[in-house]
Amino acid sequence: MKLSIFDFFRQKLKGMDAVHRENVVALTIVEMEELENIFALLLFGSFVGFPAPPTFIAVELLPFMERELRILNQRAKDSDDMFAEMCGALGIS
Amino acid sequence: MKILFFTGKGGVGKSTMSAAAAWQLSQRKQVLIVSLDPAHNLGDIFGVNLKDKKARFTENLYLKEIDLQKLSREYLQREINVLTGTYRYLQTLNLDNYFSILKYSPGIEEYALLTSIENTIRDERNFDYIVFDTPPTGLALRFLALPKITITWIDRLIQMRRKILEKRYTIHRIRGTQNEKETVLDYREEDDDTLKRLKTLYDYYQDLTSTLKGEGCAIVLVYNPDILSLRESGRLIEGLNDLNLPLRMLINNKVTEDNKKMADHVDGKIAQMVKDIEIRRVFLSQALLDGSSNKLYDIKEDIVSVFL
Repeated sequence: MKLSIFDFFRQKLKGMDAVHRENVVALTIVEMEELENIFALLLFGSFVGFPAPPTFIAVELLPFMERELRILNQRAKDSDDMFAEMCGALGIS
Repeated sequence: MKILFFTGKGGVGKSTMSAAAAWQLSQRKQVLIVSLDPAHNLGDIFGVNLKDKKARFTENLYLKEIDLQKLSREYLQREINVLTGTYRYLQTLNLDNYFSILKYSPGIEEYALLTSIENTIRDERNFDYIVFDTPPTGLALRFLALPKITITWIDRLIQMRRKILEKRYTIHRIRGTQNEKETVLDYREEDDDTLKRLKTLYDYYQDLTSTLKGEGCAIVLVYNPDILSLRESGRLIEGLNDLNLPLRMLINNKVTEDNKKMADHVDGKIAQMVKDIEIRRVFLSQALLDGSSNKLYDIKEDIVSVFL
C-alpha cells in the first residue's frame, strides 16, 4: 500500500521521536543497570569475598533476583573491557 | 506479658537460674519457660522428657525446648518452595532438587533462633511471663544483635531499590510504551516483589527490636564468682549496652563460704560497670551437693521479686 505524503512524514517524525527518546534514556538505562548490578553484588557479594548481609536476607530475596543476577553475570563478562563499555555508554565511537 | 532472657557464660548456671525464676514466678502467675540453648537441659532440670513440644509441668508452668536444626530445616524448606515455585519450568528438567543445597547456608541458625523467639512471643500471649534460657554469650550476642544489623542492611537495600525504581519510572515516562508486547519493568513500589519483601522484613525486625528494647523485656545476666566469668560478663554488658538492650538484673551464682571474698570482688567490679541494677546472690545448695534434694529448680533465694 502506498503511503500518503502526510503518513510518510508522520512515520518519519515518529521514528525521529523514538530515536531521540532512546538517546535521552540510554545513559539512564546504564545507570539503572549499574544500580541493579550493585544491588545484586551487595546481596550476593560473598561469592567474590565482599562483606555480605545476614545470609537469610540473600536467601529471602533470591527468588525475585533473576534479572539482577543476569545483569551481574553480564557485567562480570564485560568487565574485561570496561573502557569500551564506558565509551559505548557515553556514545563515543 | 513480660519477657525475661537469662544470659551468661557457658556453665554459670543460666538454665538452673532461668528454671528457678520460672518456678518462683509460677507460684503466682502463668509462666512459659523456653530453652534456646542447642545443648538443652531444661528437661533434665525438671526431670521430664521434652520433645520440641510445649509440656505442662504444673498448672501455671509450661516448658519448651526449641529444636534449632528442625527450625532451620523448616525455614529453608519454605524458601526452597518459593524458589521452585518461581522457577517452575525447572521441574520439567527435574533440576529443582538442586535448590536443596541451600540448607547448608551459614548464619541460618541465628535467624531460626530469632524467628523462634518472635513466634513464641506472638503465639503465647496468654502467659504472664515468658522466660528464655539462651545459649552461651557468643551465640546469644550474635542473635540479639541480629535485628539491629539486619535493619541497617535492609534500610540501605530499600533506599537502593527505590533509586532503581525511580530510574525505571524515568525510563518508562520518557520512552513510553512502544508496543503492547513490550515488557515494562515494575516501577511502582507496590508492584516490585523485591521491595515488598524488603519492607515486610523491615517491619518484622522493627517490631522485634521494639519488643526486645521495650519495658516488658528484661535481660538477666548470670555469672560465677571467678575471674573468667567476670571478664566474659564484662564483654556481655558492653555488648548489651551497644545494642541498647535492657539489662535489669544480675545474679552471682554458686557462691559459697569459701569463695565469698572472690564473690565480693567480682560483684564490686560488675557494680562499677552497671549502675542502679540489682545484684542477687545465689548460694551453692548444700542439699543438691549432698544429694538430699533433686529439685534443681527449687532454690531458696528469691530472684524474681524485682519482676513482679
